[in-house]
Amino acid sequence: MTLSPDISNIATSRWHGTLQLEFAHSQDKTQLSRSYAQAPLKVQRPFYPEGEGVCHTVMLHTAGGIVGGDRLSVDIQLHPQAQALITTAAAAKVYRSNGAEATQSTAIHVASGACLEWLPQEAIVFDGARYRQELRVDLAADALWLGWDVARLGRSARGEQFLTGEWRSRIEVWQHNAPLWIDAQWLQGGSEMLTSPHGLAGYPVIGSFAIVGRSPSQDMVEKARQLWTDGNYHGEAGVTRLMAGLLCRYRGSSTAEVRRWFTQVWNLARLDLLQRPACSPRVWQR
Amino acid sequence: MDTIRRTTMLIDSTPQALLRLLQLVSPALPVGAYSYSEGLETVVQTGTVGDASTLERWLIQELRWGAIRLEAAVVTRVYDCVDSGDVEALTRWNQWLSAMRETEEMRSQSWQMGRSLTRLLQSLEPELRPAIAACGEPCNFAIAFSLAAAHWQINREVTVLAYLHSWVSNLVNAGVRLIPLGQTQGQQVLLNVYPQTIETVQAVLVIPDDELYCCSWGVAIASMNHETLYSRLFRS
Repeated sequence: MTLSPDISNIATSRWHGTLQLEFAHSQDKTQLSRSYAQAPLKVQRPFYPEGEGVCHTVMLHTAGGIVGGDRLSVDIQLHPQAQALITTAAAAKVYRSNGAEATQSTAIHVASGACLEWLPQEAIVFDGARYRQELRVDLAADALWLGWDVARLGRSARGEQFLTGEWRSRIEVWQHNAPLWIDAQWLQGGSEMLTSPHGLAGYPVIGSFAIVGRSPSQDMVEKARQLWTDGNYHGEAGVTRLMAGLLCRYRGSSTAEVRRWFTQVWNLARLDLLQRPACSPRVWQR
Repeated sequence: MDTIRRTTMLIDSTPQALLRLLQLVSPALPVGAYSYSEGLETVVQTGTVGDASTLERWLIQELRWGAIRLEAAVVTRVYDCVDSGDVEALTRWNQWLSAMRETEEMRSQSWQMGRSLTRLLQSLEPELRPAIAACGEPCNFAIAFSLAAAHWQINREVTVLAYLHSWVSNLVNAGVRLIPLGQTQGQQVLLNVYPQTIETVQAVLVIPDDELYCCSWGVAIASMNHETLYSRLFRS
């Protein structure tokens, strides 16, 4: 079968990137025991800024950004007792689409006693982008997942608003065949969802930070709220308990602000649940 | 319109079903719906909602995009589960609803009201006990409501319409007390929200499971901060 020239062009200009990572723990060290990457996704050599116990790993998108029709799939597996922190090298860019939807689906399995900290940098969703991200986490008994997701809708620094396009994000965390947390968020470009106080109230930046798998101590919610109050931040935020965890939500104008607050709460959570302070990956320093 | 035609049929054919429906949505149903404001108390204190028109917009947007739309979608699905005897799906939808609650306050509300209604149903309709047991503990209010409606053979679309109406009228009452609004203004808000209520019912009857998304950042943040308010009329 011969494809017409423009159809084959379209077919080759779409990325079907894949990344598969496995982490194993032995003799007090967590190692990246298996990795497989298919462009445009890549992974850097892991590093250990806080000792051998926690494996820090940086994912890369080598094509500069996500365009309509791209399909990225990420598969992460943590074997028993493994401790891994995964982030990204830079903010993700999701470009204006020519009509097709871009998708990223991530599947994470965390075995017993293991902990994954899933802390990607923010996504900049250009006006006209059509993007759907799906993240599914399966936790074994006594497994822990901490993750955040920050998105800027439109390149608001240059006055761009999210007037057309669509952003969808579904996060599901399961344990013992039952869902612990399902978060299915949807934003339609140019709609009242973005402007009304019921939705984003005109703020271009949203963020969620969740800890699932262990109930935080009684005063952790109050402390996380106090960090927000003491920070004199400009956006709006809230903290609540999940069925086995904690959730922070933010809407505002600044990715720097939401990162700062989330990092403070992350530090709090680490001290409370993992008995170690936060250790920010070097790639975050800009 | 389809819904209206079937409602007429319902009234014509089974007055008993209509009476049971009225019982289920009556403010006298002892489930304590009146003690919750679902974030409204916070946004009234911050001044975001301060009159009839801002209250109306708030409710319309929640019906159009918010979590209440997902609840309505679950009401239709649970109704079908009762009809087809699919008890595993009852468990699944109840777990789904618990997991998708954006705040602890809203989860506790749904569980408390669900517990009150299932206790009542266990006494009034012992036949429902296996279905209630299949839902598992704790049972969300939307699930219990749908079980009762399906068992009482109330028309499916009317069930969803009535569920949303009872949600709207509860929050209008909360708004009347909090803002405050005159009773007539409150009734006018209720009337103005009807077109969106009908639209939401029609939308959830056809929406596929994998399109169940919502957008209610304002409600979530307001509900999260409700328990930190210095003084409150409504429960957290």
